[in-house]
Amino acid sequence: MLNRLLMLAYCLLAAVSVQAHMLNMTHIDIAVDAQQQAAITVRIDLGQSLMTADNYWLATQAPASEQRALLQPALERFNRDLRFLLDSSVQRPQMTGFEISAASLDAIQNPLTPQMATLYYQLDVSGATHLNVELADQLEIPWPCLVKIEVAGQALPQSRLLTNVDRLSRDTLLSSSAVNFATDNLATDRMVQLAIVWSRLAPEFTWIAVGFQHIVPNGLDHMLFVLGLFFLAGGWRPLLLQVTGFTLAHSLTLGMSMVGIISLPMNIVEPLIALSIVYVAIDNLFATGLARWRLVIVCLFGLLHGLGFASVLANIGLPEDQFLVSLGLFNLGVELGQLAVIGGAFLIVGWFRRQSWYQSNIAQPATIAIAGTGAYWFLKRIAF
Amino acid sequence: MSLTAELNQRSKPGMLLGIAIFTASLFMVEHAISMVTTPLKFAPEEAAPGSFPEVWIHGSKSAMDNQDPAVQVHAYNDHTYILRENKAINYEGAFMYLLFGNKKALLIDQGSTASAALFPLRDVVDGIISEWEAKHGQKTTLIVANSHLHGDHYAAWNQFVDRPDTLMVGLTHEEVMDYWGFSNYPEQRIEYDLGGRTFIVTGTPGHQSSELAMYDTWTDLLYTGDMLYRGRLYLEDWDAWAASIKRLRKLADDYPVTHLINNHIEMTDTPELDYPIGSNWQPDEPPMQMTLEMLDIAVEAIDDVNGPGIYKYDDFLLYNEIPWAYTTDP
Repeated sequence: MLNRLLMLAYCLLAAVSVQAHMLNMTHIDIAVDAQQQAAITVRIDLGQSLMTADNYWLATQAPASEQRALLQPALERFNRDLRFLLDSSVQRPQMTGFEISAASLDAIQNPLTPQMATLYYQLDVSGATHLNVELADQLEIPWPCLVKIEVAGQALPQSRLLTNVDRLSRDTLLSSSAVNFATDNLATDRMVQLAIVWSRLAPEFTWIAVGFQHIVPNGLDHMLFVLGLFFLAGGWRPLLLQVTGFTLAHSLTLGMSMVGIISLPMNIVEPLIALSIVYVAIDNLFATGLARWRLVIVCLFGLLHGLGFASVLANIGLPEDQFLVSLGLFNLGVELGQLAVIGGAFLIVGWFRRQSWYQSNIAQPATIAIAGTGAYWFLKRIAF
Repeated sequence: MSLTAELNQRSKPGMLLGIAIFTASLFMVEHAISMVTTPLKFAPEEAAPGSFPEVWIHGSKSAMDNQDPAVQVHAYNDHTYILRENKAINYEGAFMYLLFGNKKALLIDQGSTASAALFPLRDVVDGIISEWEAKHGQKTTLIVANSHLHGDHYAAWNQFVDRPDTLMVGLTHEEVMDYWGFSNYPEQRIEYDLGGRTFIVTGTPGHQSSELAMYDTWTDLLYTGDMLYRGRLYLEDWDAWAASIKRLRKLADDYPVTHLINNHIEMTDTPELDYPIGSNWQPDEPPMQMTLEMLDIAVEAIDDVNGPGIYKYDDFLLYNEIPWAYTTDP
């Protein structure tokens, strides 16, 4: 019964509005410049929605000085029902002008020959990180309404669709330094959800979350390498020295790669990263402590892993205006990820490091598994 | 000597043997998993068979009394689904396509009705995907894309924005170009890999300036969207359309094509005669799929058209750069 009623309502609506290819649908284009001023352009078929075709025709034929008065009731209604939410705070944009024209009254009356009005607005979005566009429930315009947001510094525009049943756009990001997860629902794992939460609460720290998740949970090979460092026999000092050397080295190549000073094809980097895991693990099995040359080699491997991090970051793209800050935060996230791996390993098996059976029953089997996995990845990466 | 004993003695050969055994075990596990979930093969050598329905559900005299499903689902074959919006819900009766590759599914277009209550496209797509996943033992990521950027092809786009494991290509020209990887639209041909199923994607502006055509190397179907179908071909940019038709012809010269598939049916089965705009009932529809001969006629039409106007052909009408309100309707 409900479906029948819905169908009836829809048919009645459709009967008065045959819109081939929805030519007269509404468009809202928002361009945010580097000074965080938003120029908003609305294209709307006023003569098919907020005004009668006759009144719209009259307005288009009137002298420019009289047009605003003739449009005023429709504009007042539209401006009242068009809302911009900056971080949940409702803002009204300042209308700066309009352009109207029409070929004929017949053309206005026919939605297949849309005679669109263009309305211009300005809005200060300084300090805001998220923008939502909302059309009030009572507002009826030619649907759907495509919202396009272009933010200076962002590589691509963001698109949102408003419909008569879905009048609030989902968050759009105004910060060029934030990662736009909003249209990518592939990001369903918990860590990325965490990153999304971060991007809302503290967008400047989103890059930390991105760096962190590149280790945990997405960077299994980096995790295994760090675990390889963890399982080297000896105390905390060798571990600390290795992790510090590794960190400095990968930070160096990550930065150099991101500014374009060095680059190496991933089909070379990836197998070598796998090989680095095999190396540290096998060395663990036969070394009794940290040899100086091992520290040098770990640093060399750090240079390699930095190139791996850079390839991921290059895919996401760093904002040009906050390049160094974002790079630094991403790197910090990577370090936190590594520390989390070491911390996790300590919590699980670190308590037993002083036990006589630790090496034979925990460290060695784990290290063999790490080396075996590294060898598996190496063979896969060179063969496929 | 047992492996454990070897390890305890820190014997080098024992350790290395342990590593080798572990590596071999991983390959065996991988092989075992692949035996359970063998990737599907989409060999391009021969056209994968498929079938079209004799007739599509085509609306009814009384839209209100229509009892047909909101979305007609037709399986062309196991991995190729053609969906059609009920013409009683929206006269556009738009066709949509759900195409599967290994671990990926591509939804081209989202119909002309936003309301999930009237047009539950998401539910229908989710149902097809669940069934497909269960049958083939694979989880899929859904890619929500569009043939072109007209509202009658993305009205239900919002039904998918919160769907897990879904990538929304976007509704702006820039997002579309970025996703498909165009650096030289429309001339460029992109080789698109949908989980082992290769498509050749190229630009076909003319009806709309972001339109794409896709050739499926597995089924040999050539998808022409809104730029060539049995109906009123509204051309915003004649030169662009003419170039696009030639581009399609060249594509069909370079690859074997079984059928041309597309987005609407607006013609009757009488040559040169279309249904009026807004028809919710089309009892005498011709098939949706088109032939290469019809593409040839479109190529020949390039020489016929010498200015704005309506040009009639047996299987389509060219509405060249005229207001869309001017029709052949009586």
